[in-house]
Amino acid sequence: MIAEKAEEYAFGGLVAAIGVFTLVDATTIAARDDNAVGPRAFPYAVGILLVVTGIAAIIATARGKLGRAEEAEDVDETVRTDWVTVGKLVAVLVAHLVLIDLVGWPVAAALLFFGAAWSLGATWWRALPIAVVLALVVQVVFASGLGLSLPAGIFEGVPLLDG
Amino acid sequence: MDSITALLEGFATAAQPEYLLYALLGVTLGTAVGVLPGIGPAMTVALLLPLTYTLEPTAALIIFAGIYYGGMYGGSTTSILLNTPGESASVVTALEGNKMAKAGRGAAALATAAIGSFVAGTIATVLLTLLAPTIADFAVQLGPADYVALMVVAFTTVAALLGSSPVRGLASLGLGLFIGLVGTDTLTGQQRFTLGIATMADGIDVVVVAVGVFAVGEALYVASRLRHGPIEVIPIGGKWMTRGFWSRSWKPWLRGTFIGFPIGTVPAGGADVSTFLSYAAEKKLSKRPEEFGKGAIEGVAGPEAANNAAAAGVLVPLLTLGLPTTATAAVIVAAFQSYGIQPGPLLFTNNSAMVWALIASLYIGNVMLLVLNLPLVKIWVKVLQIPRPYLYAGILLFAALGTYAVNFVVDDLIVLLVIGVVGFFMRRHGYPVAPLVVGLILGPMAEEQVRRTLQISEGSLSALVTSPFAAVAYTVLVVLLVVAFTLRLRRKKTEVTV
Repeated sequence: MIAEKAEEYAFGGLVAAIGVFTLVDATTIAARDDNAVGPRAFPYAVGILLVVTGIAAIIATARGKLGRAEEAEDVDETVRTDWVTVGKLVAVLVAHLVLIDLVGWPVAAALLFFGAAWSLGATWWRALPIAVVLALVVQVVFASGLGLSLPAGIFEGVPLLDG
Repeated sequence: MDSITALLEGFATAAQPEYLLYALLGVTLGTAVGVLPGIGPAMTVALLLPLTYTLEPTAALIIFAGIYYGGMYGGSTTSILLNTPGESASVVTALEGNKMAKAGRGAAALATAAIGSFVAGTIATVLLTLLAPTIADFAVQLGPADYVALMVVAFTTVAALLGSSPVRGLASLGLGLFIGLVGTDTLTGQQRFTLGIATMADGIDVVVVAVGVFAVGEALYVASRLRHGPIEVIPIGGKWMTRGFWSRSWKPWLRGTFIGFPIGTVPAGGADVSTFLSYAAEKKLSKRPEEFGKGAIEGVAGPEAANNAAAAGVLVPLLTLGLPTTATAAVIVAAFQSYGIQPGPLLFTNNSAMVWALIASLYIGNVMLLVLNLPLVKIWVKVLQIPRPYLYAGILLFAALGTYAVNFVVDDLIVLLVIGVVGFFMRRHGYPVAPLVVGLILGPMAEEQVRRTLQISEGSLSALVTSPFAAVAYTVLVVLLVVAFTLRLRRKKTEVTV
């Protein structure tokens, strides 16, 4: 509960901070000195909205009005936050975006699917073949069907996989 | 009667085998994503946007319309057969539908939902056909100040009236407006908030934001509290083709339609409000109020019809004014824009053939959806049982793919991840995500219209409110807000006394 409250303060603070950044950075936008509303006015309004709502969210939190976490079919509200799994998923996404240019899309995609499914509790020997097949099928569909080519990486020059 | 001729021509286009296939693809995908938890129509349209760049606009929009309608049908199957609370729009259906399924009357619940959706969808599409051209004719005369007023109404109502916390809704809107500011100013050509990063000069792509906030944000959020164990799907039981079924269903269907459609057309309407109102109406009018809460078929028939009619109603301001009032509508506007088409009053004159083919495809899609969801419902039950680790891994894979396919640059994936993490925290703390997406799409349009108004008036701010239409719009907004907040206060008071 205390951790959740701290998080709420932090998010409200983030909203307000983005607002402050908007206001400060808006002053650097060059505006001509005439009557018409220039490129600064709208950013100022958005900045004020963010600062006000960010502070209001912090006040609401302090008064005990916490935001209600969203409900969803697959969400179990009774369990504690599983930060390890969230961390793993973020790590897998980072690995994916780093690997695309290094070893190509098919490998990076297979790793993303396998890593995510495994993090979420799938059996590894079942997830692995699905990941590989899925990545290769998407690669072939893109290369041959849609006319958009994903970087083949280590499969460069391989027929069907390299568009 | 021009519009009848135009509609017939639209049917001639939409009935070509190629377009029928696109419509079938759309409604099938739509039903699938409606059935599957964790994926919504907004996210699906966003994901498919980059993949449909190679299609012509009419084909792509027919697919998107199919996804939009299909998502409404699929959602009810999930809320009736799954043992867990679902999304807000179908939560009312779950109240009675879930009880019916547990009592062995699942077949009747699914049938009244599917047929009710069909009846409501078809009637609402007829109303859309009749109303849209008239509203478009009127809307052509609106000036920039009037558009500003409409957008302010849309912004405020979406952010402050939907969701449980107006402050958090407005903060979400602010974040969306901020993301919309990043990039090159259209009027002066200056870069704003790009932090000097070259790729930011073109702005942050709507697709990347929508996919990040819906797909990645949702996947991370579900992962943080994943429901483990087997997925409990209630087996479909009982017969539905009974006389009692028809005699108890047809009135709620019609009432639901006429409650849902008008609510869908106004900003702040949307599916939630209409389903709750329809449920309340059925409970009040029922001869057997004691059955409510224990599986009353009227409580499924009415809200499901209202839900679909509202979905069609949302298309009225979307097509005639270019005004999106839900997250999915906002993404569809982005889809139009990616083809260089601006939805709005001129759509019916400039892209007449396309827009009528689109409307005709809505009629056709409804028929397809009835078949997909009545005799073929067992297939969707199988889809519902996909193991969750694979489902969410798949969502992440296609989110990354859809984002990468926009520009084929890795930078977009970094933005995707950052926005996904923001979406994750928004869900944890009750910040609704719809205002963010609506703000992102409408923000740049609103800024342009404000500046145009003030250029004409030479900086006099009164020009924003002196147009009669704008004045009326602002008055209505104030009335709406006052009514909404008194209702909310009263509801709180009754909750306290109960």
